[in-house]
Amino acid sequence: MNTIIIDGLAFALPLFIIAIGGIFSERSGVTNLALEGFLGFGAFVGAAVVTAITGGAFAGHETQMFLWALLFSVIGGAVFALLHALLCVKFKANQVISGVVINILATALTTFFTSQINTALFGKPTNKFVLGVCDKFTVPGLSKIPVLGSVFTDMYYFEPVIIVVALAASYVLYKSRFGLRLRACGENPHAVDAAGGNVARIRFFAVMISGALAGLGGICFAYVISASFSPSIYAGYGFLAIAAMIFGNWKIGPTLGACLLFGLARAAGYKLAQSLGLASAFSDLFMIFPYILTLLLLMFFSKTNRAPRALGEIYDKGKR
Amino acid sequence: MNEKKKSAVSPFGRGLVKLLGSERRQNISIPLFAILLSLIACAIVVALFGKNPLTTLVCFLQGSGVLPKPEYAAHAGQLSDFMSMINALTPMIFAALAVAVALKTGLFNIGVSGQMLAAGFIASVVVGYSNLPMAAAIPLVLVLGVAVGGAVGALIGFLKHRFNINEVVSSIMLNYILEYLISFFINQYYINMVSRQSNPVSVASRLTLMGVSVGDLRLDLPLGILLAVPTAFLMRFLLDRTRLGFELKVVGLNRRAAKYAGINVGRSMVLSMLISGALAGLAGVTYYLGTFNSIQPRVLTSVGFDSIAVCLLGNSNPVGILFSSLLITIISKGGNYMSSIMNIPQEISQVLTGLILLFSACGAYIRYYAAHAREQLAEESRTAGSSAPEGGERV
Repeated sequence: MNTIIIDGLAFALPLFIIAIGGIFSERSGVTNLALEGFLGFGAFVGAAVVTAITGGAFAGHETQMFLWALLFSVIGGAVFALLHALLCVKFKANQVISGVVINILATALTTFFTSQINTALFGKPTNKFVLGVCDKFTVPGLSKIPVLGSVFTDMYYFEPVIIVVALAASYVLYKSRFGLRLRACGENPHAVDAAGGNVARIRFFAVMISGALAGLGGICFAYVISASFSPSIYAGYGFLAIAAMIFGNWKIGPTLGACLLFGLARAAGYKLAQSLGLASAFSDLFMIFPYILTLLLLMFFSKTNRAPRALGEIYDKGKR
Repeated sequence: MNEKKKSAVSPFGRGLVKLLGSERRQNISIPLFAILLSLIACAIVVALFGKNPLTTLVCFLQGSGVLPKPEYAAHAGQLSDFMSMINALTPMIFAALAVAVALKTGLFNIGVSGQMLAAGFIASVVVGYSNLPMAAAIPLVLVLGVAVGGAVGALIGFLKHRFNINEVVSSIMLNYILEYLISFFINQYYINMVSRQSNPVSVASRLTLMGVSVGDLRLDLPLGILLAVPTAFLMRFLLDRTRLGFELKVVGLNRRAAKYAGINVGRSMVLSMLISGALAGLAGVTYYLGTFNSIQPRVLTSVGFDSIAVCLLGNSNPVGILFSSLLITIISKGGNYMSSIMNIPQEISQVLTGLILLFSACGAYIRYYAAHAREQLAEESRTAGSSAPEGGERV
């Protein structure tokens, strides 16, 4: 049970922060299929920066390097998201196509630059940056609570970071003026315009926030899954985050529920496969578990599901 | 705006208006213009590597058999390269058509890869591992592809209609479910220990005739293309000329209006996803029992995702898709040869694809810009004609 919660959270929280990124973008009315690309590119920038700083030798200052990686992933994701923002907001591009293009470009560019940087630094054109491990900690006292205590046991350092960022993000989205306008942009951009808001600017920032959060989630995935950055980061987590966001009806609270569901069901599936001692091929069967569960739950919870009204529409001032 | 501006329209804008022509011509001229822009951008990228952009472009065309290479190995020729490109093109056409049909109904089928995999797997197991003769095997493979893909697609449509489950979510979930489920069966029953893929399907069931001797050459003849091109025209006929197609499009344009007009919206959505899934199924069988002959477990092909972009590049128009698939396949197929000849990393061809899609995504902006420039030009000529000397002040 403990390991299920520990592993489940380590998967659910990065997914959650990426999904929040998706919420920011889509609630402002910009369809975001580019999360996959954002998280990959963000993680790439973070990993590349720490590799360049340390030259691949992490011993002694892993935690410090981890924080640098986090910071630069956020920046990298935000900068890369500029492209999506420019295309969708300024150049009135089809938002779906832009998202797909950004995923293609992210895969190509990061693979290419990873091998280039590795050639320059180490003389070997590998497509992988080794990151070292992310330390874990246990909260004294709280971890002694039965069952719930395992939430506070063996936490990765990024977990509290994600929780804080998620809280800040939900404050911005639901309580600040910017958040109110952002949500209004997704429902009725003309009203925002009439009220003196700048639709283009709000959407621009929303997409950049989306990229920053996805970058943060991306580097966490890189640490927790393989302790390295490689093209295997493009395993569809961005699309999973989109699914979680839609499952959560484009709201932060329910989305957290969806992500926890994924994470815990996934960890439970792994654990079950392990404890039954079956051949490795059977683990694939247990991997299906979270997705089937989600589909079944969706049958009950989708009745009131509704996308932001102006989602995917290019804002045209003259249109009535 | 009272400055002594000579004209609000830059020379670039003037040129653009002339170049793009009338609104009607723009359906073709704008994509072409976007491709031209992206080629220029790519030329700059290539030039940054210190290589000649023009030779690089020629290399792409040579690698995909559109232009002859300077020399060939034995039994190879321009035609064999070209056929190999067509072999890769076939699944792409079907997959992009699948996206297009769903898109016309306002549904976003992001599960093409999963539908391809399901169809390919079932067809492999039922027909590929049997010893049916070719005359029975090939039609059966096609029928199975349509049936399995259609079933998965219809399930997505049904979930949307009955439970209001967003098709993007259910497609993504089904992608994962199919990926892992099929991976399990392959690993458990059909694995080839050497290649770590599923066992190769029988030659008789494969939709591509491999290594056929034509004169001095050995060719791979993809039979699927004979079906893919007519299917594109059939889809155009279905969407533009039939009542069903009209209903699908109305549902896509405005669901409420469609309902008001007495169209059964739920049925249309399920039907649209069924057709879309069936096309994806055809893409699956031409991919797994044509272009290739085995399935790699735990991998969803990227064709299903690239086809979204290809479909939009072709303006979701079935005939446009024929051309956009061709363009993208030439680039990805020619990339290998280009990379080895020019000594440029292979990933560049992916960047090139990205750039082309990127610029074509801006088609709406180019249209907007041209229309704006045209309006201003018209206004200027009007004011110039009435009273104002030289440009004049605009009100």
